[in-house]
Amino acid sequence: MAEGTIQLLPLAIVVALFAVLILSGLRNRKRHATEYGFRGNYAGRIGIGAGIASNWMSSASFLGLAGIFYLKGYFAMAYVVGWTGGYVLLLVLIATQIRRFGKFTAPDFVGFRYESEGARTIVAVISIVITVIYCVAQFRGIALLVSWLFNIGYIPAVALGTSLFVSFVVVSGLMGTARNQKMQYFVLITTFILPLMVLTRKLGYFWILPQFGYGEAIGELQQQFGVNWSEPFADTSLFQWFALCFSMMFGTAGMPHVLSRFYMTPGIRDARWGVVWGLFFIALIYWSAPAYGVLARLIEARHALPFNAGGIDAADLIVLSVASLGGLPTWLVGLLAAGGMSAAFSATAGLLMTGSASFSYDIYPRLIRPNATESDKIFAAKGFFLLLAAIVMVLTFRPWGMIVEIAAFAFALAGNTIFPAFLLGIWWPRTNATGVICGMLTGLAISFSSLLCGSSLPFISTLFPSTSSALVGAPLVMLVMVAASSLSSPPSEAVRLFLTRQVHDCPEE
Amino acid sequence: MKGEVRVIKLVLSGWLIAIVGFQFFSYLLEVNYSELLLSDLTFFNLPIQFWLSGQLLPLWFIVLCALFNFWMDRHGVQSQEGSLRFRLKPDSEEDD
Repeated sequence: MAEGTIQLLPLAIVVALFAVLILSGLRNRKRHATEYGFRGNYAGRIGIGAGIASNWMSSASFLGLAGIFYLKGYFAMAYVVGWTGGYVLLLVLIATQIRRFGKFTAPDFVGFRYESEGARTIVAVISIVITVIYCVAQFRGIALLVSWLFNIGYIPAVALGTSLFVSFVVVSGLMGTARNQKMQYFVLITTFILPLMVLTRKLGYFWILPQFGYGEAIGELQQQFGVNWSEPFADTSLFQWFALCFSMMFGTAGMPHVLSRFYMTPGIRDARWGVVWGLFFIALIYWSAPAYGVLARLIEARHALPFNAGGIDAADLIVLSVASLGGLPTWLVGLLAAGGMSAAFSATAGLLMTGSASFSYDIYPRLIRPNATESDKIFAAKGFFLLLAAIVMVLTFRPWGMIVEIAAFAFALAGNTIFPAFLLGIWWPRTNATGVICGMLTGLAISFSSLLCGSSLPFISTLFPSTSSALVGAPLVMLVMVAASSLSSPPSEAVRLFLTRQVHDCPEE
Repeated sequence: MKGEVRVIKLVLSGWLIAIVGFQFFSYLLEVNYSELLLSDLTFFNLPIQFWLSGQLLPLWFIVLCALFNFWMDRHGVQSQEGSLRFRLKPDSEEDD
């Protein structure tokens, strides 16, 4: 491909994929009521699982994970274990129980459980902050893809990517399309695994299951080129690995857009089994992501190219680079780009809608305009959506790390704030509004401590690294919640009775 | 409630032991032997630490979630049957 030219075929594939998704969304709108497990059958549970997986998959999973494997080898496994193991925590400790509260958003849950408008507002603000940080990771992914597709610099690519994203949301909204999440997941898994199979075959490894085939590449990389990519704790400590892994787990169980999946599913059994299917679908991608990282290192070594010559931008786009360097046909590289773009667009749309709903439903009518009508709230949600997109765009101009590192910061924040609020709110009836407010403010301080004072106080960076602060942070926040709750008056009798009778001792729906 | 808490404790124990255990196993192998031994120990083509953390752990999490759901399904049915019997008892007494 000549320098300065647009990647026409990949661009055409991206456009075609989005057209297919919009058309399928229009078709899906008409039969939406029979989808996603309303009848509680086997296909419904798989559909819920596909919904969970497609809601989860973002540019962090699609592009960023392979990039961090390429750079850091085994250390990146902490993301895989963290982002899958978090679903166990979510299922057994939170998902089953929050259904019994009958609330539809994280601020709703906190407002009801802790009987506090203050706590509700803090959760709404934290949800918005998490949304913004996580969206910066997505916008970075979109910008890198746009930069590659149109052959333009990063800054113009951020602006163009934002315009394309907002146009996509507006067009989808005007046409009233519903997300066909089963199809979305099918697209993601196909566009991720098909190029990997072809690449593994081209390199002469076991291509039918490239999730195992890449093992030979690790051996070749070590024996032929002396690169020990698979050594577990060569550059990092056991503590750093566990800190990152558990922060991702606590964050998974505290992410507002992940939790919202469980309020929306009609039946609790279908929701629970949907988690199992969702975890399986997510694992299919995560079993494959390390392969892109090691194959990239191997192809670079075979071509005598310097390691990570392009810095973190190149690492974040390693999925596309390895496909191009490996000699895959352009249409397959375009398919990968289309999958990455689709993952980023869909995750960003879902996140920004959650963020704008937090504003229009939990902040605007309570703090800004108490007598707001429904149409005022809808108008506020649309305006805030655009404002959030603009804020995210500005922050994406100067991102503070790789895609997965930015996403990890959002997860650590969720793990330090929303996760303890939900966990103790469900399992310790004595937790009260004072406790949760003190805890969440402590969690906020811990999450940002490394960025704000890590350079002057090095132990802060060691204990609470920005991507991995929740291993120490979340237990500390829970201690603060327990201490503050114990020193103030208990929650009302009605809440304690509700927890005992309705949440912990009621048969399932 | 007590049964549910017991199952949750069992699931979380299996979850924690597997995560921490596999990492300590890899760490001890690396520290006590050598990186060469680690790369020689392969399973399904993969170095053992990659297979344990990258392949087996996600699969283990799926199994744990499935076991929890099987127990909850059974427990939920029993609870519902119990509450039905409780509600139906006065009617059946009247019938007698």
